Amino acid sequence: MEVHSGDYRARARRIIEETPEVREAVTAATRTFVEHRLEAFADLDEDALSHWAERVKSHALTHLADYLEEAEARLVERGAHVHWAESASDVHRILERIVRDNGVKKVVKAKSMLSEEVGLNPFLESCGVEVLETDLGEYIIQLFGEPPSHIVGPSIHRSLDDIRAIFHERLGTPRDASPERLAAAARELLRNAFLTAEMGISGGNFLVAETGSIALIENEGNIRLSTSVPRIHVALVGIEKVLPKWDDLSIFLQVTAKSATGQPVGCFVSIIQGPGGSAAGEPDGPEELHVVLVDNGRSRLLADPEVWEALRCVRCGACLNICPVYRQTGGHAYGYVYSGPIGAILAPGLVGLEETLPLPFASTHCGACKDVCPVRIPIPDLLHVWRKRAVERGLTSGVERSVLGLWASVVTRPALFGLAEKVAGLIPDQVVRHLPMLREWSAGRELPRATGRTFRELWDEGIE
Amino acid sequence: MRVSLFVTCLGDRFFANAAADAVRLLRSLDVEVDFPKDQTCCGQPAWNAGDVPEALRMATHTAEVFADADYVVLPSGSCTAMLRCTYPRLLEAPAVAERSYELAEFIVDVLEVTELGRGLEGRRLAYHHGCHALRELGLETQPVRLLESAGAGVVPWEMDQECCGFGGLFSVKNPEVSVAMADRKLDTLPDVETVVSADGGCLLQLDGRARHRGLPIRFKSLASVLWEARRGGA
Amino acid sequence: MSRDARERILSRVRDANRDREPVSHPGPLPEAAEPPGPFTQAADAEVDGQTGVADPVDAFENRLRAAGGEVVRLADKAAVRAWLKEFASEFESVSVCKGVPQGLQPELAAAAPSEASLGVSLAVGAAAQTGSLLLSSREGRQAQLLPPVHLVWVRAQDVHTTLGEALQACREDLPATLALHSGPSKSADIGQILVTGVHGPGRIIAAILGADA
Repeated sequence: MEVHSGDYRARARRIIEETPEVREAVTAATRTFVEHRLEAFADLDEDALSHWAERVKSHALTHLADYLEEAEARLVERGAHVHWAESASDVHRILERIVRDNGVKKVVKAKSMLSEEVGLNPFLESCGVEVLETDLGEYIIQLFGEPPSHIVGPSIHRSLDDIRAIFHERLGTPRDASPERLAAAARELLRNAFLTAEMGISGGNFLVAETGSIALIENEGNIRLSTSVPRIHVALVGIEKVLPKWDDLSIFLQVTAKSATGQPVGCFVSIIQGPGGSAAGEPDGPEELHVVLVDNGRSRLLADPEVWEALRCVRCGACLNICPVYRQTGGHAYGYVYSGPIGAILAPGLVGLEETLPLPFASTHCGACKDVCPVRIPIPDLLHVWRKRAVERGLTSGVERSVLGLWASVVTRPALFGLAEKVAGLIPDQVVRHLPMLREWSAGRELPRATGRTFRELWDEGIE
Repeated sequence: MRVSLFVTCLGDRFFANAAADAVRLLRSLDVEVDFPKDQTCCGQPAWNAGDVPEALRMATHTAEVFADADYVVLPSGSCTAMLRCTYPRLLEAPAVAERSYELAEFIVDVLEVTELGRGLEGRRLAYHHGCHALRELGLETQPVRLLESAGAGVVPWEMDQECCGFGGLFSVKNPEVSVAMADRKLDTLPDVETVVSADGGCLLQLDGRARHRGLPIRFKSLASVLWEARRGGA
Repeated sequence: MSRDARERILSRVRDANRDREPVSHPGPLPEAAEPPGPFTQAADAEVDGQTGVADPVDAFENRLRAAGGEVVRLADKAAVRAWLKEFASEFESVSVCKGVPQGLQPELAAAAPSEASLGVSLAVGAAAQTGSLLLSSREGRQAQLLPPVHLVWVRAQDVHTTLGEALQACREDLPATLALHSGPSKSADIGQILVTGVHGPGRIIAAILGADA
């Protein structure tokens, strides 16, 4: 997808000022996720689980090449086609070939953030292929023509009324249709798509090296259908998704579901080893399985000694749900497929710091995300690394630098500091309100009340 | 016992009376308070902005100023977290890191005083946890315990641990989101007369927003309220 | 070209890790840290008013019910026959997966999975920890997925305590797809309101077969 992170502030402002209902919907949904997560972990030794999960993912990442080769070998043994894509355009080329070779006209898609990352839908549509998102949330945002607003709940920014309106317009459901009625309308339309599409496209939550298994977690059954009914299944899997052993899988399935929605595990999990159908001597299932292992910036991020740990991410969305900054806007403000705290550290790593610059600064550094990450990614520290680099590369704004520079030169000289504070105290509010930064402050907040004297003065006078 | 007060830049400029109350409170607990005049800023604004060299300069200076202090006490959770949790990443074994305490933390954990007096009898307060105090220092129970033991009712607030939206430069780089965050705090506030916090930045943010909206809520530094607890009466 | 991409990716990944201290695998999760699953969690107490359930079949039942699934336990062949006859009367047609024994097939008109009102399958195992039924693609997937109601037979002796144990039991002979079904199809994507039966079956019934069934 295109990256629009540069206008983070403008996008955030528009969402807050022009669509206040988005803020309400996102806040309500994320708070529900947080409550469910808390309940799910209430009786668990969360520390022991997260330390273990961190070690397993770090082990996988520090032995990644070997595990990728192992997974590939297992998949090939089972008759799967394994493709390697360095970039989004590689993914496009690979898909174009599969589509052309098989005369694919219709694709059903199961939720995949990676497919959003590489802009797959517009590409396939440009090849003349009809693409239908089948996850209900993804289907909703496809109707709206929007990118996902959340890793787990792509449509959390849309209210029931929004969805009623677009379904009425596009599917002809009544204006006051119940959620059940809306879901039934989508089910009917998409059921037909499952039965007629030649190809299903999924992502992959995990890739188990030992068995070459692709594991997918969901609640609706659309992933099971997309990977079972069409003749061809294509799975897009980021190279960082590796788990070393079959025995690692059960805990990761549970930890991811608990962190995401508080469920013990998703209602449906698909663990896919190879193609089905006659190729496998099975009654049904896809005759062809194509697994596309996607780099798209991941190996560069892995090489980064300060930020590589971000690749442990299992995309549970817990850091988005807990983030008070994310809650005000939802994901669209971030202008990138991955939003919230994890998006703010992945975006500069996968796309580049210059292109995604304000994102590492789109955080108050409150630290709430660090406490909920099931694989212990030190998100605040990684945000700080990107901030540090932005300063080192001279990418921060001139005003900001000069204000901080002035601050620095004054506060490290005690005499000057005392004097500067006095002078600052003498500038009338009307002037202050127009100074850079103070202008931004005073648009929605009153300036601090003047206390008259500084503590230094009180101290010198003697404190009784 | 002797402590050195690190008033912090916000404390010096915007919370001078609260810092003075901290001095009064400590003295009333038989603690001798000293104020090294060479102190400036802990360097947290620069650190948060990603300006590591500037943060290092300020940290170096602060560590020197307080090199001989037995204890450094700060009326600020956030600055205490900078000294204790971030300085060790900037400086080699900074002694100041392990000797620094936020005021309420110092009173409860070091002085082992849990009752200051009964000066808050009948008061209805809400307590806002500053993020760095809460998550980096683990300062959670101490301030509330001191308020309650002085007779105050600390009213449960569902958002008491959520960020107020200040975040230093964040408040001016992303003012719309920052203000929306403050609104979320204010809109969920229970019926109380005063909101108390150990962090000046949070108080400026919440008070600035509440006044802009014309909300009749008072915001007070923990130091001042604890001094009221000790001295009695408002 | 794709071969080149493979080599380049693998070589970049190797280079990236070259100077990094390898992290060792921690081994299995210590047993004490295993998610307690249905044994202690409050959600289960609400289901049957008790906690500390130790028997995996009881625990499995609690967990699946908590997720909105239905459970029936049948001790012997007579109980199976009687229950199945009554249960089948709610439906018009059935799609039965390959390998479901004759005695476990309802007497209903056979229909294609996309037309049948009931799908019937036989689980290869179950996990109490997560309330999951393990289904193999070898018996055919469409009857597991397309009908609005899914009846899954599972033998009591195949119900494992943890998900890890249940998966381990399948490890040596994995089908093309091993699936876990742990509740009815559901979604909260429409205004955060829970809806069941979105794409997959909106009802799932686990029929647990006792030793004499």
